[in-house]
Amino acid sequence: MKKLSTGWIVLIVVAAIVIIGIMWGIRTNNKMITAEEGVSGAWAQVENVYQRRMDLIPNLVNTVKGAADFEKGTLEAVIDARSKATSVQLNSENLTEADIAAFQKAQDGLSSALSRLMVTVERYPELKATQNFRDLQAQLEGTENRIAVERNKFNEVVKAYNTMIRKFPNSIIAGMGGFEKKGYFQAASGAEKSPEVNFEF
Amino acid sequence: MRKAILLTLSVFLSFSVFANVPKKTNTLVNDYANLFSQEQRMALERHLVAFDDSTSNQIVIVTTPSLDGYTIQEYAYQVGEQWGVGQKEHNNGLVIVIKPKNETKGEAFIATGYGLEGALPDAVCKEIVDLEMIPHFRDNNYFAGVVAALKIIMPVAAGEYSYKEARYNDVPMAALIIVLMLVVVFLISYSQKGKSDKNDFRGGRGSDGTDILTALWLGSMVSRNHGGSFGSFSSGSGGFGGFGGGSFGGGGAGGSW
Repeated sequence: MKKLSTGWIVLIVVAAIVIIGIMWGIRTNNKMITAEEGVSGAWAQVENVYQRRMDLIPNLVNTVKGAADFEKGTLEAVIDARSKATSVQLNSENLTEADIAAFQKAQDGLSSALSRLMVTVERYPELKATQNFRDLQAQLEGTENRIAVERNKFNEVVKAYNTMIRKFPNSIIAGMGGFEKKGYFQAASGAEKSPEVNFEF
Repeated sequence: MRKAILLTLSVFLSFSVFANVPKKTNTLVNDYANLFSQEQRMALERHLVAFDDSTSNQIVIVTTPSLDGYTIQEYAYQVGEQWGVGQKEHNNGLVIVIKPKNETKGEAFIATGYGLEGALPDAVCKEIVDLEMIPHFRDNNYFAGVVAALKIIMPVAAGEYSYKEARYNDVPMAALIIVLMLVVVFLISYSQKGKSDKNDFRGGRGSDGTDILTALWLGSMVSRNHGGSFGSFSSGSGGFGGFGGGSFGGGGAGGSW
């Protein structure tokens, strides 16, 4: 058997390294695709629960409108905020920090308009007592809970994804494959209370 | 240096403050506030285990003297999500949290897993808490309140009835009608069976009349669930088989008194 020259050995070794590298790259790329799909899935859930809130509003507005001389201003604020929030739709392909921030801003505007409405309703006890309003209130509260839950779940998935694509050497593949960092939801001021820890030494 | 230690400590402490929903147990009834007698606890547990065995819906009851800084919906959600109540593939878990009235107001909450949100919408959960539980809870009769709620939740969660039927209609009558309908349907399909292909109906098995027997047995199951035999349930079930990894999305509703 003919002995291999040094050149051949080097070539084989280099080829092996390149093949291993390519295989690793493909695997990493696929893992990132899976993680990105996870983010898209979590985003779909977030949109879903926000949409649920949007769908409740016409019904809520109509129910409240029925109450004698209900303040027009509060109702109009809700309707305006709703149409603003509807106009901000994100593509699940690019959920950059700016995108998420814009989305959150529009939705938070609606949240505060809605909470002002609910405070105003306190002054209309006969409206509050109707079955229809009580049902809507329960649904709205449940929807706000769902929004909080899905936002948290989204943030967790995004955190895992961002960590994956930014770590070296994954970042090389992320750069080549065009995987970009995704944005988080920020805890609304005052909405998400952190537990107080008081201890003195 | 001291500051660094303090900071680490505070991070550590705040973490442990946050993670203080009770640890996963292997019982469905978790009476940390001692609201039930021993017999009541066992009767509830038996009933819920049997319900899990027959329908795979998992209902967890947690009573707690304090919510440890959580709102009650967060508390119920965390229990459901962290314990994995319900089956992984159906997310058919349900968590009932009761915080009795002590220094602070009493609160109760029903949290639904993703899979039960359709059967038990928030408005329905709210109504169950307000109309079935709280009136009894005000009289310190926690067992009666829970039983009244479960009598509605169980058939609805099992998909046998809508909430309206379970609450407002004469349920035994409805059960009877369903049994009758089942028998008629099975009789018709049975009589037509000779003409049609063997694999046409339920994979073609039971050509010796077992389908009618199945129908009757199913019917008796349906009516038994509404017999109101809480406490006298005596089937020899083998204990709770563990949580199935179900997931929660923040659904449900509650009330306070």
